[in-house]
Amino acid sequence: MNPVIEVQGLTKDYGQGRGVFDLTFQVEKGEVFGFLGPNGAGKTTTIRQLMGFVRPTRGGARILGKDCFRQAAAIQAHTGYLPGELSLMDDLTGDGFLRFMAQMRGMKGLGSAEELKELFRLDGRQSLRKMSKGTRQKVGLVCAFMAHPELLLLDEPTSGLDPLMQNRFIELLLREKARGATILLSSHMFEELERTCDRVAILRAGHLAAVEPIAALRQTRTKQYQFTFPSPASAAAFSAAWPGAKVEGSSASVALTGQEELSRLLSLVAGYDVKDMSVDGGSLEGAFLGYYGEEV
Amino acid sequence: MICVPLLKREIKRNIPLLAIFAGILTLYASVILTMYDPELGESLAMMKDAMPQLFAAFGMSDPGTTLAEFLANYLYGFLFLALPLVMIILLTNRLLAGYLDHGTMAWLLATPRPRRQIAASQALFLIGSILVAVLYAGGLCALLSAFMYPGELASLPFLRLNLSLAALLSLLGSLCFGGVCALPDSRQGLAAGGGLCVLFMLLQMLSQAGEKWEWLQYLTPLTAFDSAALARGEGSMWPALVLFMAALALYAAGVGIFTRRDLCL
Repeated sequence: MNPVIEVQGLTKDYGQGRGVFDLTFQVEKGEVFGFLGPNGAGKTTTIRQLMGFVRPTRGGARILGKDCFRQAAAIQAHTGYLPGELSLMDDLTGDGFLRFMAQMRGMKGLGSAEELKELFRLDGRQSLRKMSKGTRQKVGLVCAFMAHPELLLLDEPTSGLDPLMQNRFIELLLREKARGATILLSSHMFEELERTCDRVAILRAGHLAAVEPIAALRQTRTKQYQFTFPSPASAAAFSAAWPGAKVEGSSASVALTGQEELSRLLSLVAGYDVKDMSVDGGSLEGAFLGYYGEEV
Repeated sequence: MICVPLLKREIKRNIPLLAIFAGILTLYASVILTMYDPELGESLAMMKDAMPQLFAAFGMSDPGTTLAEFLANYLYGFLFLALPLVMIILLTNRLLAGYLDHGTMAWLLATPRPRRQIAASQALFLIGSILVAVLYAGGLCALLSAFMYPGELASLPFLRLNLSLAALLSLLGSLCFGGVCALPDSRQGLAAGGGLCVLFMLLQMLSQAGEKWEWLQYLTPLTAFDSAALARGEGSMWPALVLFMAALALYAAGVGIFTRRDLCL
């Protein structure tokens, strides 16, 4: 079967090293595909190319077999899009905007807009101008999902959402995936992609550094486990039992890559009086470092 | 070719702006019309004699004798060009430059509507607004004249005057629209298109102010709109047709460029 998104040697050179260079990847039908990269890595630029806003300098991208620049309108009939820099038509209310967009899409009604508003606890009667950033993000999400598109292109979809709403969003994403939708989303946080994506593309400085199944990245990711003990002495005792632990006052931290050693660590620490424990999921740089053993 | 939901939205959104301009046009037209004296406005003639250059710069060199000539001189020479030009610049900003600058164009393009359709709809709304403005201004003058000076306004010359004005304003609109379509930065595009229109007006004012500057009239398309001659029933409609065709070509070129260019959204 043909992939939903086919990107072949895609290059958009804005000069001075800005842009994206020679990207090649494919996204299969029903797949959730993540773009991971720090700010300015080229995530948004790539999504803009897929949307047909800019013409590639070299190479090309096809969605559902159609050229992303020349046949953008035909592709849009099957696509839901959420821009990364969300600006809405401030003269409208939330509901007015959704109605307008539904008409622009040629929809008969509002699709699943009501259900989605319910999911995100969105009151659409307010003017968009007066909405908070998170509320506006919800309007954008409802707009992207309401037509039940085959493909969703979501640029930093959870930005501005509180943790509860981020969870709602993940629920929604998994439901759409179960329905058979293909989803491409970008993020600069590994955790966000970890919960939803099948595969992740790592972008840095406009180049595609890797495309890996999420499980492979998870395996190589380094996490920091920090334990707080009642006294510096007990922290020191713990570090003596676990070589490599870093002691700082009465707390000790351990860096683990993969999951092999986790149960050994937990059973060791269970023998101590632990006051507190925290896990740092590891930054993007950490994930990258773990996978490649080099600096981002 | 036309995007109906977008057109509906623009009508709804821009009616307040159009109403304000209708109000200003009404104000000027009625004040100027009350100043018309069928016995030849002597006071105006005296003012004109006192400062002929200033009057000439604003296209008021020849007050004429008929009501149509009077209107052509005092309204169609400058006010009915300058006020609609402001409206055109504001509208172009709201219809195109604003969407691009603000980034909301991304939403319009995230629908199964081709770029061509979106740009053409906005151009159509702009042309429509210009025609409505001229229809309103002309209609208002005709109506007020019929009440205040029954039988004084020669209808055919006046109609030709208004059609020519519509053609000229369409061209100014197409310059603003084309500027936004063609330049990578929409604000600069609007400044370039609107600036060019203002420059054309200034060139015309200069060319009328004295013989030394008369050659400047060949640098501005406003020369093709000879309001005094049209009001006298002498001017030809060919210049208006040329202006209008040029406007259509520029709108089409703008839409074509917009369809192919990179959009920073």
